[in-house]
Amino acid sequence: MLLSPVVGIAILLCLKEEQRFLIRAVALVAAGISFALSIYTFAGYDKQLGGIQFVEKYPWVEAFGISYFVGVEGMNAPLLLLTGIVIFTGVLTMWELQTRVKEYFIFQLALVTGVFGVFMSYDLFFFFLFYEIAVVPMYVLILVWGSTRRIYAAMKLTLYLMAGSGLIIPGMLLLYSSSGLFTFDMLKLHGVPFSPWIQNIAFVLLFLGFGVLAAVWPFHTWSPVGHVAAPTAVSMLHAGVLMKLGSFAILRVAMYLCPLGFQYWAQFMALLAAIGIVYGVFVGLAQTDLKYVIGYSSVSHMGIVSLGLATGTVDGLNGAVFQMFAHGVMTALFFSAVGFIYDRTHTREIHELGGFSRIMPVASAFFITAALCGAGVPGMASFWAELLVMVAAVKVFPLRGLLAIAALVVGALFALRVVQTTFYNEPNPKFEHFEDVSPFLGLPRMILIGFLVFFGIFPQYMLGLIKTSIVPFIQGL
Amino acid sequence: MPALDPLFVLCAACVILPLLAFGGIMIFTWRRPFLSLGISLAASTACLIIAWYIFWQRWGDPTPLVLNVDWLVSDLVRVPFGFLLDPVSQLMLVLVATISFLIQIYSIGYMWGDPGFGRYYADLSLFAMAMLGLVISSGLLQLFICWELVGLASYLLIGFWYEKFSASEAGKKAFVVTRFGDIFFFMGLAILVIFYGSLDIAAINAAAVAQKMEPWLLTTCALLIFGGICGKSAQFPIHVWLPDAMEGPTPVSALLHSATMVAAGVYLLTRLFPFFAASPPAMTYILAVASLTYVLSSTVGMVARDIKQVWAYSTISQLAMMAMGLAAAGLAHGTLFAGYFHLTTHAGFKALLFLCAGAFIHHYGTNSFFMMSKGGARHLTIPMVTVTIGALALAGIFPFSGFFSKELILGNLWHLDNKLWVSIGLLGAFLTAYYTFRVIFVLLFPRPEDHPAWDKYHEPLAGGHGHGHGHEEEEAHGHGHGAGPFSGHAPEWAINLPLIILAGVTLVLGFLQGTLERFLLGESHPHEMNYLLLVLAVGLALAGIGLAWWDWGRKGASWEGFLSKVPALEHFFIQKWYMDHFWRWFLNAVIYNLFSKTFTYNDRRVVDGGVDAVALGCIGSGRFLSFLQTALLQLNLLFMVLVLAGVGIYLLMGR
Repeated sequence: MLLSPVVGIAILLCLKEEQRFLIRAVALVAAGISFALSIYTFAGYDKQLGGIQFVEKYPWVEAFGISYFVGVEGMNAPLLLLTGIVIFTGVLTMWELQTRVKEYFIFQLALVTGVFGVFMSYDLFFFFLFYEIAVVPMYVLILVWGSTRRIYAAMKLTLYLMAGSGLIIPGMLLLYSSSGLFTFDMLKLHGVPFSPWIQNIAFVLLFLGFGVLAAVWPFHTWSPVGHVAAPTAVSMLHAGVLMKLGSFAILRVAMYLCPLGFQYWAQFMALLAAIGIVYGVFVGLAQTDLKYVIGYSSVSHMGIVSLGLATGTVDGLNGAVFQMFAHGVMTALFFSAVGFIYDRTHTREIHELGGFSRIMPVASAFFITAALCGAGVPGMASFWAELLVMVAAVKVFPLRGLLAIAALVVGALFALRVVQTTFYNEPNPKFEHFEDVSPFLGLPRMILIGFLVFFGIFPQYMLGLIKTSIVPFIQGL
Repeated sequence: MPALDPLFVLCAACVILPLLAFGGIMIFTWRRPFLSLGISLAASTACLIIAWYIFWQRWGDPTPLVLNVDWLVSDLVRVPFGFLLDPVSQLMLVLVATISFLIQIYSIGYMWGDPGFGRYYADLSLFAMAMLGLVISSGLLQLFICWELVGLASYLLIGFWYEKFSASEAGKKAFVVTRFGDIFFFMGLAILVIFYGSLDIAAINAAAVAQKMEPWLLTTCALLIFGGICGKSAQFPIHVWLPDAMEGPTPVSALLHSATMVAAGVYLLTRLFPFFAASPPAMTYILAVASLTYVLSSTVGMVARDIKQVWAYSTISQLAMMAMGLAAAGLAHGTLFAGYFHLTTHAGFKALLFLCAGAFIHHYGTNSFFMMSKGGARHLTIPMVTVTIGALALAGIFPFSGFFSKELILGNLWHLDNKLWVSIGLLGAFLTAYYTFRVIFVLLFPRPEDHPAWDKYHEPLAGGHGHGHGHEEEEAHGHGHGAGPFSGHAPEWAINLPLIILAGVTLVLGFLQGTLERFLLGESHPHEMNYLLLVLAVGLALAGIGLAWWDWGRKGASWEGFLSKVPALEHFFIQKWYMDHFWRWFLNAVIYNLFSKTFTYNDRRVVDGGVDAVALGCIGSGRFLSFLQTALLQLNLLFMVLVLAGVGIYLLMGR
């Protein structure tokens, strides 16, 4: 899975810019192999057995205790699947790209390599290495292929994330040095009983550092700006997958290694998360740029993930991981639908658009599906995730939980407002001549919808898998 | 997997077939109207047959049957997928399946030639699926899911003519307002899961609830769930979505207002009747809210000029009446029969009234019944006869079905110590008869062309509804032009057949009271006739009709309601008690301006601005530092020496 994008990059480097079709095909095949493998690990994971499966472990720098250690368990298998889905559909979505095709796909595949790596790594050093690999290509992708205020956005995003890394490194080194084991192996580090104050410090460093990427309030402002500037597939990857890196890292590193620190800071985490949920929908309500709207909805939905993590219960964590997956697919769908409309009309102002259900019924249906999913309509994957998180949250933090539930109604208002102004009412005559989505370009969107609905109707396929690792995880806390 | 019970398979088919129809039409056949129609009709016919089969199969067997499989198993949250078959759900199942089938038939005629024909049938199928699923679900969470899907389907159907601003606005309003109620429902569910640990309907209705939960918690929970019921069944103060929902095609209004959507709320109240009855304070609150709604909607119904608006307000008032009946029964240790029976009869006659209204609208291209009267509505024989039957039932006149069920509810109210409630009920009965027959008399006895009243009723309807009619008219006239695959006129029989069937049901259903009661409760209580109440109720209804005759029907009637003697009150009613204004203000002032604007400002200025300030600060300090790195070698050397000297001194001092 990790290898296939790397090989893809290597082949792409040898190709010439002119061979566009070949470039696209290679990128698609590389992404397709990753996609297929991610499905394989998802479906092939033995739920009865549990634990970490598909393990690969090679020592690398033994002096520092660094080894290449990857594996799959219940909590990262859905995220690997998510990455596979998003990269595959992302490549298909960018099929019509005309400028610098080769470089684009190289960077995109590099980003994905990093993402896969983060989700699979059990070695702290490689975890961080892949984390940086995933973050850095983002800068280039936005800077070169972006749109609105791209230089500002790319710079802002990178500085923000680097500041996050600046917090992560001391946190990680603190744990590394105080463990006395000279190993970066997370499983071994997990067994070390760190003293409470070290855990408290390390946890808050790691939480804030990774929280920047997970768009935890108030460190979220880079994300809407970044979404707006980024090209379609990058927005998809960015919101769909990259933000999950942050919350996954909070789960995998911060909570896993510093359980006491987590208990100390859980109230604080839940507070930030609840504020983020409410805040995101209200700010989103006032936006008029489609991508800003989605950007703020992401802030709100990622707040749900953080809230689920903060509860520290089986239900909450199940819901949080499920929400990472569901939100990833959903935003990917959102951005790919918006991207399609933007490519045609060159505007994302919702007041300029209008009546698109008449002009492009199929493209509109994609967006409306995503919006309904965002509004938490049952039958979609995110409904279950929100349900689990909310119930857990009401139990652990009653007031914040109820606040989050109350935000759901504003969330619905907010999604439907956009749908109404953009897709209903009389069509804007300026755009009436545009054609609808072709079946080929509709395919990636159909794949995304298919996954949303499938896990919406059969949530147990996902949840049963997540549970196999969450239950031991909670026992370890 | 163990062998599944055949009944389970049937129930599942009932839910899954319409869903498949929805999916199939939406993905594949939405461009082909007749194929879509066929798929949808096939699914709905199958549901109809299954529903009646289950009904017949389990007739006279009052023991509840629960069939479950696991759907989602987390830790605390466990969601089974299953069905609860008991008399309450079976009766409703039959009702929903029948009405939605009839409406699909009727829609062939009504929606003939509409460009969105396929999409329309897909949405209808989704609606049927959600409602059937809601009715027979065994757990509250599954019920909640279907509940939300009902909301979704109604959103799609109300906003069906999405190019019209008022329609898309009404759809949004319906969804958001009911969602507002649903969050309370959801909170109630969360509390139940946490403190009671089960969402199984049978378990919640068991007496164990009252022992396991503190009374205050039980009351809170019941009231939260009632919040959801308020949203769906349009009770005060969140009833505002329902009149606007008339923007949808008329068959949709009929569907929404009879056996589905709005009935879902009262159905839930019935479903959880023992649970609600365990908390008298909650029941008292429900009674008060329902009474207020009853009076409000009856008075607004008296001044509306759009036929669908009148029926819409009558729906709100009848739903309130059901809730009153259930609440009163809960307080007086009665049974759920009165409220539920009214739900059943109401489903029949309200569907009838709306479908008749649809027939008029379809024919005359206007929603104002004054204009229809001018066009000679009395000559449409079948709709005119059936609408009168429906109106008689609504007013509660013997021998139509509404008479029997209203009598029962009033009887329940009579048993309460506080006679205020029964007097509200009687007042409502009077008003209902008045506004219903206002419509009938206007339709039956048009004024001559030169009558002064026309000056008033000629003007287009005020408010957001005015927009609707142009389109509706266009739709109506567009029919028959044979656009695309549609050729020739819409089939008349498709419109008339359901009317006749429903009128028959309205006539017969009342006499089945005893049978149904035996079926629902397992036993039939001989009702002692309360003649005083009977005379009072029928007398008031007849008085209402008489007053309507005086104001609207008789030869010299001025076509001015008695209300116009009190203009302030009339204005207050025309403005719908200013509830719409209140919510509009709330949305604009509180949600958009207060929260949304402030947060956005905060986001731009404080959070983002703060970050940018830090960044600018960094750039500034970078400039300052780079200023030190000037090209002046001497200065640099001096600086270096100074620093080295400083370090040296520090090291020396350290020793």
